[in-house]
Amino acid sequence: MTQPHDGVQDGDLLDLAVPYALHALPDGERDALEGRLAHAALYEADAFYDEVRAVRETMALVSSAGAAEPPAELRQRLLSQVAGDNVRTLPTARGESGRRRRTTLLTAAAAAVIGLGAVGVGLSLWPQPAQPSTAQQVFAAPDVHTISGDIPGGGTATVVFSRDKNAGVLVMNNVPKPKPGTVYQMWLVSDKGETSAGTMDDKAVAPSTTAVLPDLGNSKALKFTVEPGSGSTQPTGQVVAELPLV
Amino acid sequence: MTSLLDPPVKLRLDASDNLRTTTVTSADLDGLLRRVAQRDADAFAAFYDATRARVYGLVTRVLRDRGYSEETTQDVYLQVWRTAESYDPASGTALAWLLTLAHRRAVDRVRSEQAASQRESRYGSATVEPPIDHVSDAVVTSDERRQVAACLDGLTDMQRECIELAYYQGMTYVQVSERLSANLATVKSRMRDALRGLRSCLDAR
Repeated sequence: MTQPHDGVQDGDLLDLAVPYALHALPDGERDALEGRLAHAALYEADAFYDEVRAVRETMALVSSAGAAEPPAELRQRLLSQVAGDNVRTLPTARGESGRRRRTTLLTAAAAAVIGLGAVGVGLSLWPQPAQPSTAQQVFAAPDVHTISGDIPGGGTATVVFSRDKNAGVLVMNNVPKPKPGTVYQMWLVSDKGETSAGTMDDKAVAPSTTAVLPDLGNSKALKFTVEPGSGSTQPTGQVVAELPLV
Repeated sequence: MTSLLDPPVKLRLDASDNLRTTTVTSADLDGLLRRVAQRDADAFAAFYDATRARVYGLVTRVLRDRGYSEETTQDVYLQVWRTAESYDPASGTALAWLLTLAHRRAVDRVRSEQAASQRESRYGSATVEPPIDHVSDAVVTSDERRQVAACLDGLTDMQRECIELAYYQGMTYVQVSERLSANLATVKSRMRDALRGLRSCLDAR
């Protein structure tokens, strides 16, 4: 660093929207900026993400100029790879295009888990969709259960679930990011074996991460392993934690 | 900014078993992606065919290495298969979602290769021309490419240089400012002006 730079400390948020959208911020600055956005006034965060979106739409159009055909073998490789692939990456509440209202849901979910009774308040901030989300249905279910456990290495994992709704919400707090080149993978354990319930990579794991588990089936536990690359079809790695779903 | 996509992007789907080419609109891509989220392999293949040349072109431009580019393109589409349900139409078009993901992957790769081996000879130096490609009109219309090229030509040299270094070479804006011996505020404003210029030029098509 040959010159002082204001980075995200005192610069105007909107000023950083273009470098953010072009992935041109150093990682530390990007994380700090996202932290600032989560606490910024709603109109400021909206203006920021509108700009990010416009930049990305523009660059999507620009991509036609450099279009180049990939080798034909790639198509075959890819199609056979996905044919046997049942790994699903969990949609998390935080993402690059994440909006403030997502953070609101995350906060509501986390608050519900620690028993602040904030569900009603928190969820009412969420623009009401025509259909209540899976998470809302789980939180509102009469048979809602909460099970929580420590993750060795730091942090806690909590599952709020409803057998009635056949779904759960996973909340991870202060869990360390997986090492580069690995992901956390969640498995639903039943009498029939283990089914992948999704993966989380280092970008998906935030200080507080929520994810929806849409299909609990007859599972008796949720198991966490560390898996290489972007996940495995069967657990192969170290078991990090196991939460009984009872 | 919906005006950017109005009229819709003319992507084309070339089915190898079908001589007829079908125009795939931005809305069609959204629909395909929703079907991919439901584990529809045919929709995945159609999505790949409609977008592969843009993705591969971008990844190659950033990585400048055929092997890396193939691996990264494969990773990008595997990620599409696994994360399609996280696509939210409210935050942009499917095409922008895809190219954002592809650019992120390519930039991560170029930065980790640099960190691993400081391959300055491969990655450090001057602008490399975009690949000379042979994409048929079936994938991206030549008309569309001409218009985009004209809009890129409309930027100032300094604006283009900033986009080249940051977007196509994967540099952070801090590295760009060091490379150009320009201060950070200048680099940020050149990037912003470049994007504004491109946007209004493309909008005016």
